[in-house]
Amino acid sequence: MTPIDATGPSGILSRKALTQDQKVVYTRILVILGVVVFWEIAGRFLINPAFLAPPTHVVRALFTTIFASPEIRYAIWLALVEVTIAYALAVVVGIAIGLAVGITEPGRKAMFPIIVMIWVIPNITLLPLFMVVFGLGPVGKIAYAFSGGIFPIMVNVIAGMRNVNQLYVRGTQSMGGSRLDELRHVVFPNMVPSLFTGLRLGMIVTMLGVIASELYVSANGIGYYTRLYSEVYDPAPLFALILTLAVISITLNELVRLAERRFTRWRR
Amino acid sequence: MRAILLNRGIQALFVLLVIAGWMWATEVRGVSRLFLPPLDSVAASFQRLVSSGAFYEALKVTLSTVAQAYAIAVVSGILIGYLVSRSRFSTAVFEPVISGIFAIPLTLFFPLFILFLGVGVSSKIAYAALYSFFPVCLNTIAGLQSVEPRYIQAARSMGASSLEVFRHVQLPAAFPVLVNGLRVSFLICFAAVLGGEVLMSVEGLGRNISQSAESMNTASMYAWIVFVILTAFVLNMVVTFIENRAKEY
Amino acid sequence: MIDRPPAGNVAISVRNVTKRFGERGGSQEVLALDNISLDINRGEFVCLLGPSGCGKSTLLNIIGGLFPASEGEVLIGDKAVRGPLPREMAFVFQESTLYPWYTVIENFRIAQKFQRIPRSEWNDRAMEALKSVGMASFSKHYPNELSVGMRQRVNLARSICMQTPIIMMDEPFAALDEQTRMVLGEDLSALLAATGKTIVFVTHSLAEAVFLSDRIFVMTARPGRIKEIVRVEEPHPRSPDFMLEPRFSELRNDLYAMLREEIRRAMASLRDPQSGEAA
Repeated sequence: MTPIDATGPSGILSRKALTQDQKVVYTRILVILGVVVFWEIAGRFLINPAFLAPPTHVVRALFTTIFASPEIRYAIWLALVEVTIAYALAVVVGIAIGLAVGITEPGRKAMFPIIVMIWVIPNITLLPLFMVVFGLGPVGKIAYAFSGGIFPIMVNVIAGMRNVNQLYVRGTQSMGGSRLDELRHVVFPNMVPSLFTGLRLGMIVTMLGVIASELYVSANGIGYYTRLYSEVYDPAPLFALILTLAVISITLNELVRLAERRFTRWRR
Repeated sequence: MRAILLNRGIQALFVLLVIAGWMWATEVRGVSRLFLPPLDSVAASFQRLVSSGAFYEALKVTLSTVAQAYAIAVVSGILIGYLVSRSRFSTAVFEPVISGIFAIPLTLFFPLFILFLGVGVSSKIAYAALYSFFPVCLNTIAGLQSVEPRYIQAARSMGASSLEVFRHVQLPAAFPVLVNGLRVSFLICFAAVLGGEVLMSVEGLGRNISQSAESMNTASMYAWIVFVILTAFVLNMVVTFIENRAKEY
Repeated sequence: MIDRPPAGNVAISVRNVTKRFGERGGSQEVLALDNISLDINRGEFVCLLGPSGCGKSTLLNIIGGLFPASEGEVLIGDKAVRGPLPREMAFVFQESTLYPWYTVIENFRIAQKFQRIPRSEWNDRAMEALKSVGMASFSKHYPNELSVGMRQRVNLARSICMQTPIIMMDEPFAALDEQTRMVLGEDLSALLAATGKTIVFVTHSLAEAVFLSDRIFVMTARPGRIKEIVRVEEPHPRSPDFMLEPRFSELRNDLYAMLREEIRRAMASLRDPQSGEAA
C-alpha cells in the first residue's frame, strides 16, 4: 500500500487519511459479508442441510424457536443469572483473598507461587467433581464458574500490590499520612489497573465456566437444548442458540472493558 | 535466610491445612464418602489405575489428540498469520476480526463439532485446533508487525526473495513473541482437548473423569483428577523450559 | 566552623548528627554522615551542596524525620524530631510525588486531609497555592497530562498549600531543563521574600546554590561533614541580573575550588566496590 502523499495541502491530506481508515473498515465489512454470503450458498446448495444451516434459516429459527419459546428463554436467562452470581462472588472473594494475601510481603511471597500453581490446573477437569458434590442444578454451575473466576482476580490483585513505588510511600509519610493512608492512597490505587485486568480475565473464565457446565449437563438448561437440537435434522435452532449466547458473551465482556477504561483514565 | 524459612513455613502450613481439612471432613464430620472419599481409598484407586495401565492408555489418546490438533493449529496459524501481515492494509482489516472471534467463548461452538464430526476423536481435534489456532496466528501477526520495515527493505534491495526475507529477517525478529504464542497455544490446546473429552467423548483422560463421576465412583474420579493435574504440571514445566531455551537461542 | 546566628531566631538545629548504614561493626557498614552540627535561621534560604554520595539527601531526610539518625538529634524550634512533622516541614522531592491516580486538586485535598486541616479550607488553600505558581487552570488535570516542569510547579504549590514554616527540597529541579530551572528559581526567591519561609535546598548545581541561597553548607565526600559555610549577601527576591555580577562568578569559582577535591574523592570511591549510597 503506498504511503499517504504528504505533499498536498492539509485539506486534501486530511481527506486522504480519513479515506484510508474508511477503506479498511469497508474492506472488513465486505469480507464479512462475503463470508456470510458464502455460508448462505454453502448451506443451501453445497453442504448437507442436516449439518450446516444457512444464515437465513438461522435468523428465522432465532425468532421462531429461540425467542418464541419461553422455556428456552428461561434457560438462557438462567445461564445469565448464573454468570452474574458467579462473577459477583468471584470479584468479592477474589479481591478479599487477594488483599489479605498481598498486604504483607511474606504472605505475598509465600502464597503467590502456590496460587499460580493451582491456576495451572485445567479447570474443566474439576467440572465432574463439582457436579457430583453440588448436583446438576444451578448451584453446582455457579460454584464451578466461581472456582475458575476467582483465580485471575486473586492473582492480579496480588501482583498489583507488588512493586509499590517507594517514592509515593515516602511522599505520603512526609505529608503526615499513616500506614492506613498509605494503603488507601498508594497501595490500593496502584493495584487498580492490575485489578481490572484480573476482572476482565475473570469475566471470561466465569463465562466459560457457566457455558461448559451448562453444556455438560444435558438434563436441563442450555445443555438440554443443545442436545435436543443436535438430534433433529434441522440444526438452525442450534446455530441460533449459539449465536444468541455468543452475542450475550461479547456484550458482557465489553461492559467489563468499558469499566476498565473508565477507571484507568489517569494512566493515559 | 529467615525470609526463606518464613516463606516455606507459610506454604507448608497451607498444605497441611488442606490435608488436615480433608481428613477432618471425612473422619470427624463424616462428610459423605461420596463427595470426599478418604485419602486411602483414593490412593488405592490411583495405585490400581497405574498398575492396570489404564492411565497410560488414556494418556496416549489424549496426547495424540493434542498433538494432532496442535500441529494443525501451528501450521495454519503461522501460515495465515504470515499472509495477513504481509501488508499493513490486510493486517488492519483482518487482525481485529481474528482477535474479535477469539474474544467469543469458543466452547460455545463445541456442540457444532459434535454435530459435524461425531463423538469420536476427530471432533476434539477440530475443536482444539480451532481454539489453539488463535494465539499462534495473533502472535505471529504481532511478531511480524514488530519487524522494522527498513530491515526488510534492506534485504529486498540486496536481492533476497520473499522466502529468504521471511527466513532471515522476519522470523528471527518475530521469534520471541512467536514462541510465547506457541507455548500459550499448547496449553490452550491441552485444556481444550481435556474439555472436549469431559463434555462428550468416548475415550481419553477427560472421558475417564466424567465417566467415574457418572458411575459415582468418586475415589476413582479423584485418582484420575490427580493424574491429570500431574500431567498438566509436567507439560507446563516442559513447555516453559522449551520456551526459555528457544528464547536463548 | 559553626556559624552561629543570633539566638532565638533558629528554625532548625542539627546537633552532632551521625548516620551509619549497614550492620553495626559489620563489613558492609558505611559511615554516611559524620558528626554534623549546624543551625538554620528562620526565613533563611539554605543550601546543602556537595558531590554525589556525600549524604546531603540523607541529611535532609534526617532533618525531616524520614530517617532516624544513628547519633545526635535535630530540633525544630525546641521540638526534637522523631518522625515526620507535617505541620512544620513540607517536602518537595526530585521526582514528583503527586499521586498519578488523582487529579491535581484531589492531590491537594488528600495532602490537607493527612494534615487534618478542616475540609472547608481545602479548596481555597489549594487554589491560592496553585495561583501562586501559575497553575490554577490545571486543577482538574491528571499529573500524567502535565509536563515535567508543570508537575514540579504543582508539587511546589502543594507544599506551599500546607502552609508550613519550613520547606525541604531535595534537588527538585534536577530533572528540568535549564530555562524552566531558572524561572522556577526566580519564583522560589520571590516566594521566600513574600512569605518569610525557611527553605532547605539540596543541590549539586553550583549556580543554583549561589543564586538561591543566603548560606551554603558545603559538604565533603563520604563520610559527609560540613567543609565550609559560604554566605551570599544579596536580598530576596533575586533577579537574573544577579547572575551577571562579578560577585556571582567569584562565589561560583570559590565553591568549585572547594568542591574539586571532594568531587575527585567521591569519584575515586565510586570505583571502589565498598561504596553505594543508600538513600
